[in-house]
Order: sequence, then C-alpha cells, then structure tokens
Amino acid sequence: VSVLRLALPSKGWEEDTLRFLGQCGLRVDRSNPRQYRAHMRGLPSGPAEVVFQRATDIFDEVSAGSVDLGITGYDIVAEHRSEEDNVLVVYGELGFRRCALVMAVPEGWVDVASVSDLAEVAVELRTAGRELRVATKYPNLARQFLYDRGMTYFSLVEVSGAIEAAPALETADIICDITSSGVTLRENRLKPIAGGVVVESQACLIGNRHELQSDPERLEATRGLLELMEAYLRSRQQVSVTANISGESAEDVARRVLASGSVVGLRGPTIARVFPQEPTDGEWFALTVVVGEDVLLRTVEALRRAGATDVSATQVRYVFGHRSWTFEALKRQLQRAPDEVEREKTTA
Amino acid sequence: MLGERSAAPIHRIRGTTDVLPPDDARLRRLETGLRTGFERYGYVGIQTPIIEPLELFLRKSGDEIVARMYAFSHWNRRLCLRPELTASVMRAFVDELQGQSLPLRLHYAGPIFRYERPSRGRSRQFTTVGLELIGAAGAAADAEVLHLACAGLEAVGITRYKLLVGHLGAALQLLAQLGMTDHAQGLVLDNMEPVARGRVDPDAAAARIVELLGGVSGSANGTANGLPASLASLSDEQATAVAADILRRASLPVEGGARQPHDIIQRLLAKARRPDPTDQVRAAFDFIADVRAAAGPPERLERDLRPVLERRGLSTAPLQEVAAALDLLRVYAPLSSEVDIEVDLSLARGLRYYTGLVFEIYVEDADGPLQVCGGGRYDDLVRALGGREAVPACGFSYGLERLDLAIGDGHVASITPRVLVVGVTAADHATAVGIASDLRRLDRVSVEQDVRLRGVKSALRYADRAGVDLVVIVGERERDEDVVVVRDMRSRDEARVSRGELVERVREVLL
Repeated sequence: VSVLRLALPSKGWEEDTLRFLGQCGLRVDRSNPRQYRAHMRGLPSGPAEVVFQRATDIFDEVSAGSVDLGITGYDIVAEHRSEEDNVLVVYGELGFRRCALVMAVPEGWVDVASVSDLAEVAVELRTAGRELRVATKYPNLARQFLYDRGMTYFSLVEVSGAIEAAPALETADIICDITSSGVTLRENRLKPIAGGVVVESQACLIGNRHELQSDPERLEATRGLLELMEAYLRSRQQVSVTANISGESAEDVARRVLASGSVVGLRGPTIARVFPQEPTDGEWFALTVVVGEDVLLRTVEALRRAGATDVSATQVRYVFGHRSWTFEALKRQLQRAPDEVEREKTTA
Repeated sequence: MLGERSAAPIHRIRGTTDVLPPDDARLRRLETGLRTGFERYGYVGIQTPIIEPLELFLRKSGDEIVARMYAFSHWNRRLCLRPELTASVMRAFVDELQGQSLPLRLHYAGPIFRYERPSRGRSRQFTTVGLELIGAAGAAADAEVLHLACAGLEAVGITRYKLLVGHLGAALQLLAQLGMTDHAQGLVLDNMEPVARGRVDPDAAAARIVELLGGVSGSANGTANGLPASLASLSDEQATAVAADILRRASLPVEGGARQPHDIIQRLLAKARRPDPTDQVRAAFDFIADVRAAAGPPERLERDLRPVLERRGLSTAPLQEVAAALDLLRVYAPLSSEVDIEVDLSLARGLRYYTGLVFEIYVEDADGPLQVCGGGRYDDLVRALGGREAVPACGFSYGLERLDLAIGDGHVASITPRVLVVGVTAADHATAVGIASDLRRLDRVSVEQDVRLRGVKSALRYADRAGVDLVVIVGERERDEDVVVVRDMRSRDEARVSRGELVERVREVLL
C-alpha cells in the first residue's frame, strides 16, 4: 500500500502546526519528542508518514519529491518557487503563523515614510557614490518588489544571523524581513514604511505535482486530509445558535424568525418541536441556525425579538460541504501543464 | 554509474528555442544578408560579450529592461546576460574606441536575454541584428539610420510595413518643465507608451505613480508628520536648525548609519517644500493623451502636434527634427506605397537612454502586428557610461526571429543538392573517401561519406529517408574497372560512370 508522506515544520513552528492538525482531528504520534519521524492518524485512508524538518527545508523536500505534501510558510514558497518546479500550493491559507514580509528602515530616518521616500534615498545614496544595502533572506521577493516600484539602485546583502541587527551593525541600511507583531523591529529601532509590505504570509500546504499525479492512493489520502482541513477552517468562524421559541406551529415560528431579520444560517433555520416536561400554553419549538461569529449578537437580538428564549451558542467544529473544493482545485492544477499553473496562491 | 535505469531527459529552459535544421541555415543567411547590406554603407562589424556587469544596464537602460534581466552574482561580482546590445556596443566604444575618428559606424548581431512571458514572436532569448552610428547629431544621421532600417527590410522582401516615428525631446522637455525628479520622470516615461496605446488605464497608472511618489496616501504616515509643513516657509538654515531641535526634543534620533543627520533633515525639508505630485503627474498624462490624439501621418506634425507643444510653451524643435529626417528619408529612396508612416510623440520604446528621434517598424500578418525593428537617438549615453565627452549617436536593431516570422514562407531555404558516397565493404572505404574528396571540388554540392560501413542496402535506405539526391557506390569490381555506380535516388536510375568522368557527370545531373 502506498502511504502518504507529509513534512511538518519543526522548531518554533511545531506547536502551532500540531495544534492545527489536532483541531482538524489529526493526531501525530511519535515515540519520543526528539525523533524526527512520526505517524499521523485520523485520515480515513490510514496513517500517514510524517517527517519533521525546518520550515525552510520543507519546500526543497516537497520539490524533490521525497515527501508528497508539506506544511510551510507561504513566504518561503513565494521566495523559493520557480517557473519549472514541481511544487503546487494545495491549500494556501491554513490560518496560523500569520506574518508579513516587509521593508523596514531605521527609526532615525525621519524623512522616510513610504516606498517612494526609499526610492529617493536610493538615488541620493547613489549620487554620493554609495548603494542602498538591503539585508534579507528573501532576495527574489525583495528584488522583484523594488523593481516593480521603479527602484534599481540597491544591493542585496546576505546576512547570517539576525537580519534585524544588520542596520545597527552597519552591514546594511535597511532590511526586508518577516514580522508578525512588529516588536522585534521596534526593539531594533526599525520601522516599517507605508506601502512596504512585500508579501502577506501564513502557513500553507504544498504538494509535489508528480508524486500526487502518479499515485491514486496517495492522492485519495490527500483528499481526506483536505476534507478535514477545509471542514475545520470553514467552521472556525461559524457558531451554532440554538433557542427555544413558542408558537402555533413550526411554520408560524419560521415565519416570525424570517420576518425578524435574523440571520438564518447556511441554508435556513432548523425547527423542531419540543415536548415540555410540564404542560404549557401553546407549542414550543427548538430552533437551530449556524451563523458567522461576526453576526452572532445580531442574530441573538433578532431571535429575541421573534420571541426566543434560552439562547445558547456553541462553536462549530467542522463544516463539510457537499464536496471538498480545495481538492477539486488541486485536481484542476494537476491536470494543467506545469508552466500553466497559476502563480497565485489558492485561497479559502 | 547510472546503472540499468536510463537517465531522465533534460529539457531546454522555458522561453528558449533550439534552432534546428533547416531553420538554422535560413536564419544565418538572413543575418549575413542584412549585415552585408550594412557594410555597403561603411558599417563595420563588432562583437561584445554576452555577459556584462549588471551596472552597465542599471545606468540608463531603464526600469522596464532592468526588471526583466537575467542577473546573477558570480564570485561576488554582479553580472547579467545582456538584455540589449546598444549599451554593450557603447560600453565597448567608451572602453576602447574613443580615439577613433568620428563618425564611427558599427554593425552587430547576437543573442540577447529578457525574462518575459513567452508568446508568439517573443522568446526569452532572441537575436538582434543592428547598427550604431556614433558621433553624428542631427537629421542627416537620423535619416541614414531610418533609411537603413527600411532598406534592410526591403532587401529581405518586406515591402509592406508601418514606420512609427516619435521624438523623446517633447516629453523630456515637458517633464523637466513640470519640475519632476529623475525618479518621477522615469515612472512617467515607463508608463507613457502603455497608457497611450490603451494597454493601461491612464487613471490607474497616474494613481499608482502618485502613490509611488508619496503623494496622497503615501505621505500620511510620516514619523514626523505635520512637522515639515510648518517649516516650509523658513530659510534653509533656520529650518534645518528648528527641525533638528524639534526632533531632538521628541527624542527621535536622527541617525541612520550611512546617512548623515544633516542629509536626513535636508531631505525632510525638501520633501515638505515639494508640491504634491498629483498635479504634475496629471499634467504629464494630459500631455500624453494630447500627443497621442494628434498622432497620425506626417501631415499632422504642423497642423495638430505643433499646437499641443506651443500651448505648453515647449520648443517645437523635436517636430522640425522629425520632419527633416522624414523628408531626407524620401531622398534616399522612394518608399514603397505600401509603407505607412505615422508620427506619434508618445512612442517611448521602453529604454531610458533615448533623447531624440525614436522609431519602430511593424509588419502586419495574419496574427496581428509584429514589431520587427526599433531604434533611435541617444545623445547622453556615452557620458552616462563614463565617456570623456558627450558623443551624439543613434542606431537601431531588428529582431532576427521576428523578421523571419514576418517574411513567412516567402523565403524557403535554397536547397543544396546532396551526394552520398558508399563503399560496398570496409575494404572499399579508402577509395570511397578519395571519390568524395574529388566531388567536393564542386561548389554548392554537399558530399557525405558513409562512415557506418553497414553495406549498400543500409546506406541506400538512409539516403532515401534523409533526402540524398545521388548515391555513388564503389566495390571491388568497380575498383578493378576504375568506375563507380551512380544511383539517382529521385528517378531510381543507375549508371556506371568512369571515375575520370564522375565529377562532370554529377555536375550535369545536379547543377
């Protein structure tokens, strides 16, 4: 039997990744935490082989086909992908490890607030016989970003170790690096600039085109994985609201709820008769709707107006559609010639 | 080492082409024909390296080219594959030819590399064939270059084409008049042609440029926002002192490694005093729209383009230069009635070094217009590349593969007749080699030698499939009699011919 092989990021990423998989109903077992091989259980097709690697190496492993799938940062994918590689973005937004690749300049550059200022400074330095030095571990993205904004006078500096320290150490003038909260930038007396976001990133699932294309069993296992991820990610902002409401009939209750302007869920309210323990006036019904978290309060108020009471809300764990659209998208990608695959990430 | 398994095939890089026979012969003949034509006007050939320092193209080639370069670092030097040849030729001029008497006329051909989306007539490696006329300013030189571009096309059989002529002088004057910085000018020039041709929405392009220049949305996020405006009215010295003081009190350290506090504050003030770029950009785009609207046959130069320039107080010298060059062009040779000339001052060519007349030539075929040629005047490039003094220059280049595409089926390669000489056994090989050598005295015949030595039957099968015209066979009996068997593969006729008469006989049959 052909077993799905999945690379997961280790080091600082591990906890977030395992939590995410756990929320999807997937469990990673490993005999001891120092081992870098493990099994993942929870897929209908059986356990998958897991190998832990640094997030930056996972792209190469997937590209080489030593694993079928891998979870890594979209920033890493965007930097390392090439026109003729074998890597597909299978699920672009897994919803964790959110960060951005940004241009940041020394706080002391009070005259630099935007990318256009940066372009002028580059010209100014150039006139003085110097070059704007950009420290980064993302040379491809940084170069393209600056070119796209009409800047050609700069040099990229490869820095080993902490990028944020480069301006203070004077090995570079500015940096292009990952930030999530901005704290590290501030601690190093750097500031982001307007229009300076090179790419927004978060964890994503990537796959090897050839491996997935050539093996129906592993492709089927991938479908199972995508179903679970999609169901979890779709459910995240969904709340299931249940309330009791009295009325003459289910139809009567439905009419009142719909008239109240309440959000009625993915399809419409589910209404079921309640059989009270003690005799009451009229009939009671239980009503259930699944709504977005952002409209929860509005929904509750509308339901109250319609006469509802005992309103409870629970976080939905999974939402399954009639099929997995991420898997459908993957199949379309696999059918296309390698260089026709869109460069854009697959978004949820 | 690879064992039993066959190694995976290696494919050519996307956007590149293997030029296979007979295309190779056809393209080489096309190139040679064009360059031989240039030589009749006194141009001499030059070759420059395919790899160049990245810096060469950063200086003046423009962002549009730079963003599409194959650039790389090799042992800590920044290099690139050349994306065009003019900068290379002018670098060579500055390097090694500045002592030559002017004008200097150079022609060249070679591959250039641009990372673009491959499509019909557009590869990432393609061949340019062109020339540069160095050391001559004015309409006479412009006209020679225009004439050579047209004459070259006509020499290869293209008589129906569109010649688009522009002049960068008008736009450059306007941008300088508007007080735009070099950076801003570059952004506008890069957008001039795409906007004029409707490839890019003008409002969206203008908004993007304004944003890139820090107008509207860009300036709202300044660390020292609000500070500059109040200082704008003070003198330089006062303003610098006040700004430094305020920043110190706000404990905003004005420092930045390579940049001196003085520079930072100066720039902060310069920025504050600079008008919002929105109006400048809008004025530039209005101009682009006006010149585009006035584009058309040369008759419109006086009638419609002149007012566009005069209304803005711009010199009309560019119009006179275009008119003079076009008048002279007709003196060289009457242009075919199928040549359509259009004057369009929004033509920018995507290269930043042009300063004067620019032109492009398009051939219309079933799939739409195909640009086969482009060129113009670049009077500042020699200085930008470190030349001792400004040297005016102009030139053009063809895209060889596109020319080939435009010529279409019009030029099928003239076919060289082929002869194969075969020995019946290995013992006859030496004699066969001698016979082949004799036959090579004939011009315009290709003579192949059988070297697989698998016998006559196998050789005839090859000859049949490969399209060989005549097969000459020699065996022991023929050697004894000093004859050969000549088999005509087209008619399947065979004849015994004495060795002494063979060359003459082959000439009769094939030529």
